[in-house]
Amino acid sequence: MSGAVKLLLGIAAGLLVHLVGAHLFPDFPRLVDVFLIVVALHALSGNSLSGLLVGMAVGLLHDTLTGSRLYGLYGFADTIVGYGTARLAQRLVIQRATGVFVVVGLASVLQQVVLVGLTFLLLPDPGFPLPLWAGAKAVTCGLLGMMIYAAAGSFGRNYESRRRSRMSRLRLE
Amino acid sequence: MDERRTGWLLILVLAGQLVFLATRVPGRGGKGTALESAGLRLLGPVARLVALVSESFSGSRESLALRGRLIDENRALRQEVLDLRLRLLRTADLGDEMARLGAAVEYAAPPAGRIRAADVVYVDRSSLLRTLVLYAGPSPVRVNQPVLSPEGLVGRVVVVAGPYAKVQLITDRAAAVGAMLLRNRRQGVVRGSARDPGFGLELDYLPLQADVRAGDRIVTAGIDGIYPRGIPVGTVDSVEPGGQLFHRIHLTPAVDFGTLDQVYLLEHEPVPDTVKEALPGVRRR
Repeated sequence: MSGAVKLLLGIAAGLLVHLVGAHLFPDFPRLVDVFLIVVALHALSGNSLSGLLVGMAVGLLHDTLTGSRLYGLYGFADTIVGYGTARLAQRLVIQRATGVFVVVGLASVLQQVVLVGLTFLLLPDPGFPLPLWAGAKAVTCGLLGMMIYAAAGSFGRNYESRRRSRMSRLRLE
Repeated sequence: MDERRTGWLLILVLAGQLVFLATRVPGRGGKGTALESAGLRLLGPVARLVALVSESFSGSRESLALRGRLIDENRALRQEVLDLRLRLLRTADLGDEMARLGAAVEYAAPPAGRIRAADVVYVDRSSLLRTLVLYAGPSPVRVNQPVLSPEGLVGRVVVVAGPYAKVQLITDRAAAVGAMLLRNRRQGVVRGSARDPGFGLELDYLPLQADVRAGDRIVTAGIDGIYPRGIPVGTVDSVEPGGQLFHRIHLTPAVDFGTLDQVYLLEHEPVPDTVKEALPGVRRR
């Protein structure tokens, strides 16, 4: 499957999870930012240009579903997150899923810091997000990112081993 | 593209976005962008589909469980309807009397306006800003149209895109509602709470000498040109001495925003901007 198709499927799945989650549990978007997870996991490939552009596009998509006064807040924050995560991934060799937990958790913290900074800079009456919710969001995003990364890795390995065994059988025949 | 060029592109993109954001910073009562409207048009149907599927699943499950309870409730409601009909007759009498007295002193009350129901297809309580998206159907919706629930005031429409409308909740920090104490008609401004963002409300500009007590009911005052008078907004939760001049009053909203699945759009004619902004002594040509 090509990278672009994987990315589009990831965004569509993220959008669906966000809408269903927000519909069933009103506090779901306060705890989990599926769009951020999509951006961070995509940026783990280490391509900073792609991380930047995908961060901006997914952030603007997220903006469409939130915020009445400042369209573009998430677009700005996710652009930085996408680029920053890609640059970090170029310098790190992530061998374990726990590494992904740390990277996605840090990405969530970075996104929330940028959002709070921008809101305080631009809006006349900004409100404080509770630090407990911000911390919980970083942890849940990290955990979900780690689980998706691990599941995708295991699926990829199984698919590859099945493909190899099929190829070897074909050669024997 | 090498990393240096990507770095420059990042700076360019961020600068562009900052300029865009800075130009979009609204004052109170700001409206959304064309890009946001286009996005809402695209994503609105998806959100509506999710809401419909989820409601049909939960609806069929609940209908089985609630059938027995509904029969009892139906009986009780029939009795209540009879009682209410009697009260309505008495109220109609009072209304006629009021109209006669009003006509005698040539009093012209503003029209009350009609309401129509709209489904909530998306609620955002996650960010610093509090909004929900409605599917209002083919009938037109206009910006600044008041949105109510049976319990009280929900907010006002800020963006319209085809059959979808985005509503700014009164718990948003930027929302401002002209309100008054029902007990003594003392007026102030209700805003989203800074202490409990997204959930609580505050009543500002009530001087220290004003008589306010916990439990006082707050309704719209009809002085902001958007909301008509008399819609429940909330109840006074606590009163603290604020700065030198005003009380610091925390309110509990009349509406439980976590349970909204359907709201009502009020067909209320707002005060025209030309009238609101007209200066005393200046004649229009």
